[in-house]
Amino acid sequence: MSTTLLTLEDLVIDIPGRAAGMALDFPVLPGQCWGLLGPNGAGKTTLLHTLAGLRRPRAGRVLLDGKGLQNVPRRRIAQRLGLVFQDHYDGFPSTVLETALIGRHPFLRAWNMESAADHDLARRALTQMDLEALAGRQVQTLSGGERQRLALATLLTQDPPLWLLDEPTNHLDLHHQVAVLDLVRREVGARRRGAVLALHDLNLAVIYCTHLVLMYPDGGMCWGPTDAIFHVQALERLFQQKLAVVDSPEGLWIRPVPGA
Amino acid sequence: MTAASTSPPTHGPALILGTLGVVAAFSVLASVMLGSVPLSPGEVRAVFLGQGSDLARMLILELRLPRTLAAFATGGLLAVAGALMQVLLRNPLADPYVLGISGGAAVGALLAMISGLGLAWVSGSAFAGALLSTLIVFGLAHGTGSWTPTRLLLTGVVVAAGWGAVITFLLAVRPSPELPGMLYWLMGDLAHARGNALPWLTLFVTIGLALPLGRSLNILARGPLQAAVLGVPVRRLEWTVYLLAALVTAVAVTTAGTIGFVGLIIPHMLRLVIGNDQRLLLPASALAGGVLLTLADTLARTIIAPEQLPVGVITAMLGVPVFLFLLYRSRT
Amino acid sequence: MTGGAGGSGWAPVPADARARRRCVAGPALALWLCLPFAPAGASAQDIVAIDDRDRSVQLAKPAQRIVSLAPHLTELLFAVGAGDRIVATVAHADFPAAAREIPRIGTATQLDLERLLAARPDLVIAWDSGNPRSPLERLERLGLTVYYSEPSDFAGIADDLRRLGRLTGSDDLAERTAQDFEDAINALRVRYSERPPVTLFYQVWDRPLMTVNDTHLIGEAIRLCGGRNIFGDLEALVPRPGKETVLASDPEAIVSGGPGEDRQDWLEPWAKWTSLTAVRRDNLFFIPPSLIQRHTPRIARGTRMLCEALETARSRRGPEAPP
Repeated sequence: MSTTLLTLEDLVIDIPGRAAGMALDFPVLPGQCWGLLGPNGAGKTTLLHTLAGLRRPRAGRVLLDGKGLQNVPRRRIAQRLGLVFQDHYDGFPSTVLETALIGRHPFLRAWNMESAADHDLARRALTQMDLEALAGRQVQTLSGGERQRLALATLLTQDPPLWLLDEPTNHLDLHHQVAVLDLVRREVGARRRGAVLALHDLNLAVIYCTHLVLMYPDGGMCWGPTDAIFHVQALERLFQQKLAVVDSPEGLWIRPVPGA
Repeated sequence: MTAASTSPPTHGPALILGTLGVVAAFSVLASVMLGSVPLSPGEVRAVFLGQGSDLARMLILELRLPRTLAAFATGGLLAVAGALMQVLLRNPLADPYVLGISGGAAVGALLAMISGLGLAWVSGSAFAGALLSTLIVFGLAHGTGSWTPTRLLLTGVVVAAGWGAVITFLLAVRPSPELPGMLYWLMGDLAHARGNALPWLTLFVTIGLALPLGRSLNILARGPLQAAVLGVPVRRLEWTVYLLAALVTAVAVTTAGTIGFVGLIIPHMLRLVIGNDQRLLLPASALAGGVLLTLADTLARTIIAPEQLPVGVITAMLGVPVFLFLLYRSRT
Repeated sequence: MTGGAGGSGWAPVPADARARRRCVAGPALALWLCLPFAPAGASAQDIVAIDDRDRSVQLAKPAQRIVSLAPHLTELLFAVGAGDRIVATVAHADFPAAAREIPRIGTATQLDLERLLAARPDLVIAWDSGNPRSPLERLERLGLTVYYSEPSDFAGIADDLRRLGRLTGSDDLAERTAQDFEDAINALRVRYSERPPVTLFYQVWDRPLMTVNDTHLIGEAIRLCGGRNIFGDLEALVPRPGKETVLASDPEAIVSGGPGEDRQDWLEPWAKWTSLTAVRRDNLFFIPPSLIQRHTPRIARGTRMLCEALETARSRRGPEAPP
């Protein structure tokens, strides 16, 4: 219980205009990597934002350290979990390094300036994301993939125990997709982090996630360890798409079956 | 480093503020030494040493010095208000008046003048009008849900237009004997600035309150969701910034009328040179805004003396070329 | 639209505001008084005048260096023979011709305080409703003697002349000028005020259309000439009627100023409304603005022109006109 990172207690997410779906009820423990799967509009982003305390659930609670999120100070929440959004909005001009540095905000007091140690953390995060050469660049000039990696670098700088990632592989080329997910798996495994990811790619989800949540468009939910959840029929129903499973030495491989 | 674009030159904050401080000192000195009656540097020095002719003492200590100090403080207030508004609305085109504050102040002042009240009442009434306008805009923009910068901006623009109509109505229906003075006040005029400590007090208090919020503001500028997830108390911060900006603008407008351009241009110009860290941008804006308005006012009262130009014309004439030059150089 | 030829409306200052200012101004003036004259206090030789804000203005000797803050005040000073002692005035002070040579210190609404102080005046004549209050209060705080002038009727102009004469030590000339002025006005009053009334519309400005009510100085002139201002009982001192209202009231005569001393531009647009009585009888009269819109002795000339114009209008009435 003391090591639980986050608990979903009878949680029903709120999607305006849609009837209440099924309640989610499970803890997120260190070492777990939860994958959220579902078609567009199923509520993956909504769920992640609810877990981060940015949205109110329709019913149920999210518990952090045993308390409901709304009873935990915002600053404390920010020290315990971080969220990488799907879209990135930069507003005024700033540099890559400055953007990564904002991850240190939850740990700094109002009057503190960022210290050399903070800068080091940010630079290390940039290096891990292959961005150290662009540290001085203006964020507006980054490509989609570079911006995505920068968002991840910000999370690394923040380095919270729980990572919430909304489609972290968007815009990334294959090499970086794998690099990012490798990093997630490493952090989760070696440093006892926890992660909840929204993913579109079924195969990557199966490879990297220890647990899955299937989110159906009608509000139905299905969750559990990957091996238990992994049913071709369930996935076909989820994506309304015929699938074929291939068994290979590296593991199971899912292929969509094209229409006639 | 690729050739496309580099970061703004990040000189140390101390260097930047130090340079601005020196420029500020020079501008204050110039403003005190120049006027429509020429005084030699020797006479000016004599006055500060406690001697000097009666006329020189009167000109410098009773006229130029209070006016200079009022101009500097007002310029600083307007620039800081502009910077705060731009962060709050996440829009580099925001200025202190975009939310109807100056209109409310003008209506308050005009009503006081029409009622024949004294100058102290006029200032107080202007202040009350400014804050009332703030509450109206904030309340209306909130509506039934949470407000977004767009909603706030739209509401503010509409309320500002409403105040404009009220002003025109009042001016048309009851042309007060104060009318000429009022019209100049609406254009912005430091001749009417009463020499008191309020603008300076407000400036220091505002910087003091805003600096610890600086990093939070930096993050808020990136969007409310991102800020919230990093632990920034978004709603509370937005309220605080809005009220602070409104207070600052109200004091500035009450002191010297509605002087345009300073609040829009100064934060912009500085951003091109020193980046957008509010912890540096706010105090730098205060200094640079003070410099701009002091120089503009000096020119306004000396260029075609004894005719006096409206200071808002000069701020534009000074600010526009400098801004365009910086924009051209930055190429972002 | 400042001073000069434009529509200049002013309302009498409310009494409580005057009292308030007196309480502020009194001590300052008392302090000023005490300085060189401490031993004797207000001596019998002190020159005292009450200005139009009911403040007591005192000088030890007749003013030698006068600053005038309105064109009509400059004119008044010249009328009492103190013109050569004006050291600075404001823009548009153009009568008499000598006034154009006087150094300027801005306009009535935008004063150059530095030059004003550098001129070292011992008396500042201010226009209560036309000058901005804040700079004048500052001048008073700096110890300058300020006399606020705000004549609102013919008697006020004569009185102003006398008081300015006293302050400038030319009591006799001022008295004569004032007397001549009063005689001229009285003569007009005796001759014309009981004549059959002529309804008229007086146009102060054309865009927007502006006129005066009965409490305005021009309103008084109209009454004196036996005229009846169709907008006389409106509340505002300088009302802005719509053109329709003028047409509906169908005044017998239309009198106007113009953009300049000899340009009748504003009368021409009325000429096309041929159904108007004033147009049919050709009762469109022009009076040079400086002769009737400035509060100076020249208003006697303007008023005489007005009276003669109304008399002409009466002569153009047909046999159906009432006696």
